[in-house]
Amino acid sequence: MRPQRFWRTFAVASVLAFAACTLPAAAQAPDREAVRRGEYLFNAGGCLGCHTDVKGGGPPLAGGRALRTPFGTFYGPNITPDPDHGIGRWTEADFIRAMREGVRPDGAHYYPVFPYTSFTGMTDGDLRDLWAYLRSVPPVARPNRAHEVKFPFGFRPLLTIWKWLNFTPGPFSPDGTRPPAVNRGAYLVQAVAHCGECHTPRDALGGLDSSRLLAGTPDGPDGERVPNITPHPETGIGTWSAADLLDLLKLGMTPDGDFVGGSMGEVVRNTTSKLSDDDQRAVVAYLRSLPPIENRVTRRQNTPE
Amino acid sequence: MTRVWFGLAAIAAVALVGGFAVAEAQTGAAQQIAQRQDMMKANGQAMRTLTPMVRGEAAWNQQAAVQAATTLHNSARQIPAIFPEGTGPDAGKTDALPSIWQNWADFQAKAKAMETESAKLLELANAGDEAGFKAQFPNVGRTCGGCHEHYRAKRN
Repeated sequence: MRPQRFWRTFAVASVLAFAACTLPAAAQAPDREAVRRGEYLFNAGGCLGCHTDVKGGGPPLAGGRALRTPFGTFYGPNITPDPDHGIGRWTEADFIRAMREGVRPDGAHYYPVFPYTSFTGMTDGDLRDLWAYLRSVPPVARPNRAHEVKFPFGFRPLLTIWKWLNFTPGPFSPDGTRPPAVNRGAYLVQAVAHCGECHTPRDALGGLDSSRLLAGTPDGPDGERVPNITPHPETGIGTWSAADLLDLLKLGMTPDGDFVGGSMGEVVRNTTSKLSDDDQRAVVAYLRSLPPIENRVTRRQNTPE
Repeated sequence: MTRVWFGLAAIAAVALVGGFAVAEAQTGAAQQIAQRQDMMKANGQAMRTLTPMVRGEAAWNQQAAVQAATTLHNSARQIPAIFPEGTGPDAGKTDALPSIWQNWADFQAKAKAMETESAKLLELANAGDEAGFKAQFPNVGRTCGGCHEHYRAKRN
């Protein structure tokens, strides 16, 4: 290193160090309120489900849950703050970029099995709170399992094309002509809770079909049938009352007195039942405001796990 | 020659008895599955009776509450027994998943949870404690979903 360059670097470093020392202490200590808000978003986002190997008895958020898709089997990675196996070396900016743009800290694209296509809609404030919460969980040194991606999807640069076709980054913008509860519900359904990732049908390349938003599909994750949740009277939830929908979100109970199982059972337990009453009502208001789409999702014959 | 006839008769007899045994096992499984499905339908009916009352859409009716809670509680007590091994999807048309028998202790624990929560519900119904009953109702419901999440083929 040439002396001149050394002194320039030294000067910059000194200024940065001075700035770091003089910042108010509160800005550096984890903000307890942010962590609390982040935990709420963490539940609303259902992060636990994919990032925990429940079947294998894995520790929370240490990764490992398998998600079978037509493009291969993906394993949710460790998102605890472990420096080697988790995201301990990430900065807040890395996290926001991952969620908003679907890009890893090293610049590679994520597979859209990580639903950044939805999370991109989250506000900066919410992403910062969620980050604060993720920093607060105990680190777990559990190595990640490599995805088993089918040919030719293992070639990540192909994702550039996929994203160009199917991904519009940017935070959710509320519609000023609609009631605040409907906008709040839209934000929760579309961005945070990413309901459309399962409830919206996909095209041959795995992109969400935005013309059939939340209209259901027989080809959900793990081959499960995912119902139409638009207010279509015969094929959707058009005959459900607001109270019926609230009972579904709170308890998983359907109007015929049955209780949902499978993935939605997990979503109810981990996510929708943990939303505040106001947010549950907002989700219901939004779903009931959707254009009804006729799409009968028929059940596949005998397809256990 | 007689010996040959005896031999053939013996083989025929064994085959016949064996055939009956298989047929009986199949009918047994089919009956078991049908019985379970009837019971689950009765549970759904009990829930449909209780829901409007719990929501306040229908007037509180203690007699109906006791009856529905009794149905739920009786079902819960029977659950492990009416899921004997060999009555999964290999034996007939059922949504019961094979994981039930791979995780039998957990399945039993989940049935027990429903038994405990429905017992409390029935007690509150018998006592005529309307507010307590309404507060307990979701706890019973969660035990239904808690089991379906792991042990019933996805259908909703």
